[in-house]
Amino acid sequence: MTDIAPETYESFMTEPPADSVMLRTRALDFFYGKFQALHGVNLPVAKNAVTALIGPSGCGKSTLLRALNRIYSLYPGQRAAGEILLDGEDVLNSKVDLANLRSRVGMVFQKPTPFPMSIYDNVAFGVRLYEGLPKNKMHERVENALRKAALWDEVKDKLHTSGLGLSGGQQQRLCVARGIAVEPEVLLLDEPASALDPISTAKLEDTIIELKRDYTIVIVTHNLQQAARVADHTGFMFLGRMIEFGPTQDLFINPKAKRTADYVGGRFG
Amino acid sequence: MTIETTQTPEPARMSRRIPMGAAFNPIFRWVCASAATLLLASLGWVMVSLFIGGLPAFRKFGFSFITNVTWNPVTEVYGGAGPIVGTLITAALSLAFALPVAIGIAVFLVEFCPRRIARPIAVVVELLAGIPSIVYGMWGLFVFAPFFAKYVQLPLMLSIPPDSWLGKFTQGVPNGANIFTASVILAIMILPYMAAVFRELFLTVPPHLRESSFALGATPLETITKVVMPFVSRGSIGVIMLGLGRALGETMAVTFVIGNTHAFPKSLFDSGSTIASTIANEFAEATGAMHTSALLALGFVLFVITFTVLAIARGLLSSQRYQ
Amino acid sequence: MFSRVARRKFYNTVFVGFCVLATVVAIGALTLILWSLLHKGLAGVDANLFLADTKSSCQGDSSCAPGGLRNAFIGSAMMLAIAMFIALAVGILAGTWLSEFGGETPYGHAIRFLNDVLLSAPSILIGVAVWELLVVPFHGYSAMAGAVALAFLAAPVVTRTTEDILAMQSSALREAGSALGTPQWIVVRKIVWKAAGGGLLTGGLLAFARISGETAPLLFTSLGNNLFSLDPFAPIASLPKVIYDNALSPYDDLVQIAWAGALVIAVVVLAINILGRILAREPKRS
Repeated sequence: MTDIAPETYESFMTEPPADSVMLRTRALDFFYGKFQALHGVNLPVAKNAVTALIGPSGCGKSTLLRALNRIYSLYPGQRAAGEILLDGEDVLNSKVDLANLRSRVGMVFQKPTPFPMSIYDNVAFGVRLYEGLPKNKMHERVENALRKAALWDEVKDKLHTSGLGLSGGQQQRLCVARGIAVEPEVLLLDEPASALDPISTAKLEDTIIELKRDYTIVIVTHNLQQAARVADHTGFMFLGRMIEFGPTQDLFINPKAKRTADYVGGRFG
Repeated sequence: MTIETTQTPEPARMSRRIPMGAAFNPIFRWVCASAATLLLASLGWVMVSLFIGGLPAFRKFGFSFITNVTWNPVTEVYGGAGPIVGTLITAALSLAFALPVAIGIAVFLVEFCPRRIARPIAVVVELLAGIPSIVYGMWGLFVFAPFFAKYVQLPLMLSIPPDSWLGKFTQGVPNGANIFTASVILAIMILPYMAAVFRELFLTVPPHLRESSFALGATPLETITKVVMPFVSRGSIGVIMLGLGRALGETMAVTFVIGNTHAFPKSLFDSGSTIASTIANEFAEATGAMHTSALLALGFVLFVITFTVLAIARGLLSSQRYQ
Repeated sequence: MFSRVARRKFYNTVFVGFCVLATVVAIGALTLILWSLLHKGLAGVDANLFLADTKSSCQGDSSCAPGGLRNAFIGSAMMLAIAMFIALAVGILAGTWLSEFGGETPYGHAIRFLNDVLLSAPSILIGVAVWELLVVPFHGYSAMAGAVALAFLAAPVVTRTTEDILAMQSSALREAGSALGTPQWIVVRKIVWKAAGGGLLTGGLLAFARISGETAPLLFTSLGNNLFSLDPFAPIASLPKVIYDNALSPYDDLVQIAWAGALVIAVVVLAINILGRILAREPKRS
């Protein structure tokens, strides 16, 4: 697809109302060493809504997601330029405390990653980092988180067994519970259902829709139907650029860019 | 079911909270780095202490330390050629014995052995590697050496004329304490380790490579020699070097059966010494500072040889990690 | 006369035969050694071996009480315990540093390389180096010196196995920890180390098996002691050293004790090896 000249990488952005946007990127570039993976990406994330990032493999959607909580800082040689504004403050500023940032912007990964400890300890792990809660309050927090992740009923009798003993779908919901137990503002989900069977996927998607009442959610997915099911807003990316962004229904039914139309129409992927 | 939202109020959120214990991170990192540096320092100390300790001997004898065979504590003339040559000969011989057997075992386990007993046999071979060297030494001294003297040396002595080529090669006191027996014991010691690593090397050969060779009608022998071995040639040299490194430094197994004389061994069945065995025998009762220094100088020579061999081995095996 | 095919087949058969023979030789050697150990050593293994201290030969005098190896067992146990403590502490921390912090820097590569050299370095040279470090300045042999020499040998093993097992843990696990804002050292301690779990222990077992039979480094550091001693700063008996001395002595009863001691060491080391193997094969919980 290199027949199209760069000038035609126009961006069609239909942004949500400005006062609802609590997280946004502005002219974001990203580099893996010398390779530039993101080019001038603008992403507006609306509060208490689900924003999906779609696009073919290698388009940069995971890279963009991982920039939002600066998890890439773990790896030397990866860097970002531009602005990422969380409630008006630039997250890329080197003075920002990363731990603090990540307590506000949580992440769930593609492969379920339960910690090698009990279910209870998994969920309590993040909380214990920040707050010295008395036992009953901690228990409350854990239960709340597990309920919101739609896992409580399945594990309430075995809270002290190892998290590794759960099924894949349950493990992933455990990771969600773990993430929301620290009461973040934003939850980043990197293809959370790609390792799960259809039933677990459906459960997880229901959970996501429930969660948006309390949290702002950004989800990366290669499954177009999933984006259509759960997302309020969707951004289509290609070769490191945000080609089109807008309300999900509009993007799917009435895409403005030809490339978007080709992608959602299945003409490439 | 309304869930109470727990969003905190707007301002000053960036400084909301810092995880407990964050401050310890640099301390922990430093502690770990110190431990790593300690390892470096240990090796450095070994090298430095041997060098400094051996310096008086090097200064007094110069290069002749390596070439002179005379080792006389009474006249305080020390030349390390005997142990040095002994070290090199025993190591080379043991490698010559062990290498084909190690490859044979590895090939057997990978190619011919029925799946079910391959694992137990591999375990048995690795257990052989776990036996402490002193056990090998004792076995060598009390079992192998007498056996060798009685069933190999004596018959050879009785049947071969001493002037012939073979006779010259095999003359020596028939007590089983000689370079040859020491090399055999060493070979048995390094054998299991080399076999294990060769086996791992062979398992890295992509199946389709072997299969295409067989599909062309090649016999297992031809596949091994023409396809597998060239594929792992670099790693093989690494294994050889590793085995060599171990053989060069082995003390206990050798001390018991090598005879411990400083002279140049005149034949395979003649007694000799290695640097390690010499240090083991003489260090505790070294007569005077120069004797000690000479022993340390020998130790430094051994260190340099071993370091070089191990460095080459590491370079050749760098992509793979072996026990 | 022989067709080409027949000749190739013949070579191959010889080759296969050789490989089988090689394996038989190895298994045979192990069997022989173990059999000799049992045959010669078992007779000397009795309660007295564990209850009496070493002493000089009775020289056939039937009224003299036979010696044992008690002080040697204790001495070895003490030195091994100290050595393993040091080796585990240094090794696990160093291995963690290589895996989690500085392993990819040039310094890290250098440390890894030198660690591997130390791993295969001649143990007698280590003994001599520790002699210069801890015996000469303090004018005396000691159990501590012996323990330190053994630690020099064990630490690289632990470092290597620690680094290997930590590197095997998935990076997603670390990222999940960091994504919650966890400081790196807590990620290492509470997540990565925990995930590695038993693997760290196996490294310790391997190191222990390696040093429990080592004699050379003890020759000039802990020296030896005929009396029962628990003093870490004095010379102390050790099992391999006593076996060494006894085996080279001209007295039959001492040689018998040497064989008994050798049998005990061999059994212990093989048991640890097998244990390590079983633990290493414990399947990860899915």
